[in-house]
Amino acid sequence: MGYESDSAATAVVAEDVRRTYHLAEPVHAVDGVSLSLAEGSFTAVMGPSGSGKSTLMNLVGCLDTPDDGRVAIAGQSVGELSDDDRAHLRGTEIGFVFQTFDLMARLTAAENVTLPMVFHDPVDADRRERARALLERVGLGDRLEHKPTELSGGQRQRVAIARALANEPSLVLADEPTGNLDSETEAEIMDLFVELNDEGTTILLVTHEREVAEYADHVVHLLDGRIEDVEHLGERRDVAVGDRVTGALEEVTGDV
Amino acid sequence: MNFLESIRIGWRSIGSHKLRSTLTTLGVIIGVAAVITFMVLGSGFTASIIGDIEADQEPVMMVQTQTVPEDGFGIMTVDSPIYTESDIAELEELDGVEFVAPEGGLDVVQAGTDDEQVTGVIDVQATTADAFEFSTFVDGETFDGPDEAVVNEQASQAFEANLSAGDELTLTFEDGETETVTVAGVVESELGDQTPPTVYVPAEPYYTTTIGTPDGDEERAYPFLQVGAEDLDAVDPVQEDVTEYVEDESHAAELKQDGDEIEVQTVEDAIEQFSDIVDQLTLFIGAVAGIALVVGSIGIANIMIVSVTERTREIGIMKAVGARRRDVMQLFLVESVILGVIGALVGVALGLAAGYAGVTLLEWPMAYPLEWIAIAIVVGVSVGVVSGLYPAWRAARVDPIEALRHE
Repeated sequence: MGYESDSAATAVVAEDVRRTYHLAEPVHAVDGVSLSLAEGSFTAVMGPSGSGKSTLMNLVGCLDTPDDGRVAIAGQSVGELSDDDRAHLRGTEIGFVFQTFDLMARLTAAENVTLPMVFHDPVDADRRERARALLERVGLGDRLEHKPTELSGGQRQRVAIARALANEPSLVLADEPTGNLDSETEAEIMDLFVELNDEGTTILLVTHEREVAEYADHVVHLLDGRIEDVEHLGERRDVAVGDRVTGALEEVTGDV
Repeated sequence: MNFLESIRIGWRSIGSHKLRSTLTTLGVIIGVAAVITFMVLGSGFTASIIGDIEADQEPVMMVQTQTVPEDGFGIMTVDSPIYTESDIAELEELDGVEFVAPEGGLDVVQAGTDDEQVTGVIDVQATTADAFEFSTFVDGETFDGPDEAVVNEQASQAFEANLSAGDELTLTFEDGETETVTVAGVVESELGDQTPPTVYVPAEPYYTTTIGTPDGDEERAYPFLQVGAEDLDAVDPVQEDVTEYVEDESHAAELKQDGDEIEVQTVEDAIEQFSDIVDQLTLFIGAVAGIALVVGSIGIANIMIVSVTERTREIGIMKAVGARRRDVMQLFLVESVILGVIGALVGVALGLAAGYAGVTLLEWPMAYPLEWIAIAIVVGVSVGVVSGLYPAWRAARVDPIEALRHE
């Protein structure tokens, strides 16, 4: 379907992806989702609980592999990779930001940011320097040696964002990044995401809050494991979406 | 993942659970310390005796009977009198033999001076003056005549007013008879502090034990002989000749019990046999102490499994940010190896300290059992690897999706 030609400009491609959990009876958590995130896009995924948000995120984040269909990150098909290769791909192409920040409690802010670099390249002499630059970028240049417990929630999430950017990923995946923050801090963090996006970082945001989703350019609404609707809030960036019903990829182009 | 980096992270996580980590390593510490302490004490004990003997080696050998106890440990000396006067006379004829001095115990229950009685502890041996040919006297000289005696330093010190040459000593025999002898000299003990207090009296006239010889005669017979060679160079050939004679031609060869062995031991042989026994014993005790190490490694394994469970979410995050299975495995293995190595190092230090205190108290020389220290450290690393392997493997297999759902 011409992904080769798209791959230069496409960060993530999901093509008729299905994921079924075999519990008491089969649960089709993701049931035929197609989605293509252009580089530099900012997309939000919304949906009630049980709609398949988390499963979709795990699939796009290379934590899980689809039962059917195809997910490709930076041109690499995830389904064909081994556990360790997926770990490597996560480390280099994807940055995670979690609701509960999830920093390593015993490591300093700077060490937390270097962690993905440590796993990626064992003999990297200037990772400390890059960690400092990243923390300065998120406004924590003066908190390098602080432990997570010595930081506020908003600061912790900034460290997590800096960590997500450590290996210059193709995609930053944020799962309810402001779920544990007050509304003022929420606005600060979301502004930071917008800034990063303006600088070219591709962002996929999972949320159930409308006001958070509105920071994105496109909002994908999930229901029962399928894409119910796609909203275009801004025309600045690209997102291509489709679902099983149309059976084709709906290309939406705009100015990048 | 960089090795140094995993040591740093491992150390950090050990440091964040100080009490738990300390208690965990305690098992290894106690195990290693116990092994090292026993090794130090064993080597110290051996050195305390061998050092004394080797300092002035003499061209003498002991002829004695030994047996291996049926269900015992090591070798036991048998003191049945089987070396007859004829055997002694024959041995004296051998080339290179300077003297043959018999030795046999007397049943003395009490030894006393005018002022002081010592009961039980003093051993009385009948021998000849030749026995002291190579001995060093701290006071006086060897006995010369039936009313004289030689005492060793231990016997001299058994009396509050230390015995010295010229003192009168009254010996009370088991049958109630008493004999009074004059101390002719105080002799230095060859085996140092380990020698029991002993009074030596002339075999003539005090020694009366006899045995029926294979020739049909009744002769005096002794349980031990001391054979002196002319010089150190003559020791080896004399040992050969003496061995051949006592084993094949002597009365003793026929008089000994089945299963008993006649041993002709030079000082060197005795040292060797002695250190063999001490080594065996030390090893045995060390092995028992080693059980603590097994317990220690189970402790480490246990705490590592707990730690893997506790840190499930952390493992999920590490995997999310790119940690491969071997990275996670390495992190946990490094952590348990650090625990094992710390345990071993502290254990070695503690063991050396306890061993040092022990040998100082017992006035033995301090020994540094280097090979055991090396072994202890290797064991520490192995304990870390072995006990960390399963927990680390479990950690490596954690499913990141499950882990990230874990609170």
